[in-house]
Amino acid sequence: MNVDLAPPRLRALGNPAWRRALASAMRCVIALLGLAIVVQAFLVVQARPQDLVTGIHGMADLIRRAMPPDFSQLPATLWPALQTVDIALFGTLVGIIIALPLALLAAANMTPSRFAYYAARALIGFTRAVPDLVWALLFVTAVGLGPFPGGLALGVHSVGMLGRLFAETIEQMDMAPIHALELTGARRIQVFSHGIIPSILPSLLGITLYRLDENIRSSLVLGFVGAGGIGFQLLTAMNLFQYQEVSLLLIIIFVIVLGAERISAELRERLS
Amino acid sequence: MLRVRGLSLRYPNGKLALSDFDLTVTAGEFVVVLGGNGSGKTTLLRCVTRTVKPSAGEIWLDNVDLCALEGEKLRRARLALSMIWQHPSLVRRRCVLSNVASGALGRHFTLRTAFGGLPRSELEAARVRLAEVGLAELADQRASTLSGGQAQRVAIARALAQRPQVLLADEPVASLDPEAAEEIMRLLQRLARTERIAVVCVLHQVELAYAYADRVVGIRDGRMVFDLPRGQVSREAVHRLYLPEAA
Repeated sequence: MNVDLAPPRLRALGNPAWRRALASAMRCVIALLGLAIVVQAFLVVQARPQDLVTGIHGMADLIRRAMPPDFSQLPATLWPALQTVDIALFGTLVGIIIALPLALLAAANMTPSRFAYYAARALIGFTRAVPDLVWALLFVTAVGLGPFPGGLALGVHSVGMLGRLFAETIEQMDMAPIHALELTGARRIQVFSHGIIPSILPSLLGITLYRLDENIRSSLVLGFVGAGGIGFQLLTAMNLFQYQEVSLLLIIIFVIVLGAERISAELRERLS
Repeated sequence: MLRVRGLSLRYPNGKLALSDFDLTVTAGEFVVVLGGNGSGKTTLLRCVTRTVKPSAGEIWLDNVDLCALEGEKLRRARLALSMIWQHPSLVRRRCVLSNVASGALGRHFTLRTAFGGLPRSELEAARVRLAEVGLAELADQRASTLSGGQAQRVAIARALAQRPQVLLADEPVASLDPEAAEEIMRLLQRLARTERIAVVCVLHQVELAYAYADRVVGIRDGRMVFDLPRGQVSREAVHRLYLPEAA
């Protein structure tokens, strides 16, 4: 004979009707919590949709003045456009060069010591936590206006993103071939170049291409703080109320972003 | 060639994994180590390679005690030891030839080898090694395309590229079909005979031990139970290695 020795309250929970009621109550609480989160977001951003409706004619006026795009400025925008892409390329390259050795130190399965692990993780976290715009401001102060501080800013910020993703990739790789190479007497750098890099190369390239794509978008904005490229041109045109030039620049930005995204996606697909 | 004296390993949790283990393997000898799961077979090999540091004992490789070495000296001394595992542990995205030649990396530390290159002389030697294991035609194929048996033979070729005096094999046929397993055992036996390599092979397949070993070593609870020429090992003695604790 089975005797239910559970306290009366627990026995009540075993009742299907009680369980259903409890589940319904929980669902209500979760729904109310979700609603509260959405409402507080609207309050904090001071959302006023009616202003958008009343102010739409201002936007329409701006768009009207930006039309048609001033294609006569096209030759003058090609150089800044190239600068924008090159800032991203330079930044990504700097990021890889610094992030790869850092990732080795920050990967739990490869790090030579706990101190190196935490130091590398902290450095990676710090470079990622500081926004690229702040890095750009810092480097503009250090080396002056132009594309160089932009490249440096993206490079340092990329260290954070690439370092973390590279380290995670290294941590997830199959360690058996690495141990096998270590036992052949290969030195650390040989194990790295003959074992680790070939094993994770597709992942590294995929991550790098994704980062390059992100950097191209970021380099457009960096121009706003004087770090060169098409962003700087865009800011100047807006300040001078040259809206037709602004619309041309926006078209070029659209082409660059879309092109980079497509090329990056295509290459990553081929790698996978 | 390889002499293990009084080898013991106690884990930090107090468990004795190896206890006062003695073993001598001479050049050209093929020794098979038999024992149940957790008996200490793999621990023995890990101690010999100094992947783990024994708590006590000596591991003599010719006239060098590996237990007394650390760092660069240990790395150099260990070049004479090569190891193969149950899984071939190849770099799957590299070609077969590069995998084999990478076994020689310990002898070549140049700018070229530091950045992923391999010495031309070792690539040539790797082709010869591949021919020895019967896979010359697969040299340029990616390692990821190989079958289990082929991959294990490539792992053996890589071990040979190291030019070892002692070859340690940890259940090298465990994941292979019977045909491929026989092939690997024949290959190891031939290498012991022709290359004068001392082979220590951990196995679970008793029949393979009877067929190929010169000597069979039985291990249970980290202790040596027997160390006898193949012909003198009784079925009962082997059977007792695998009996549960209470028996």
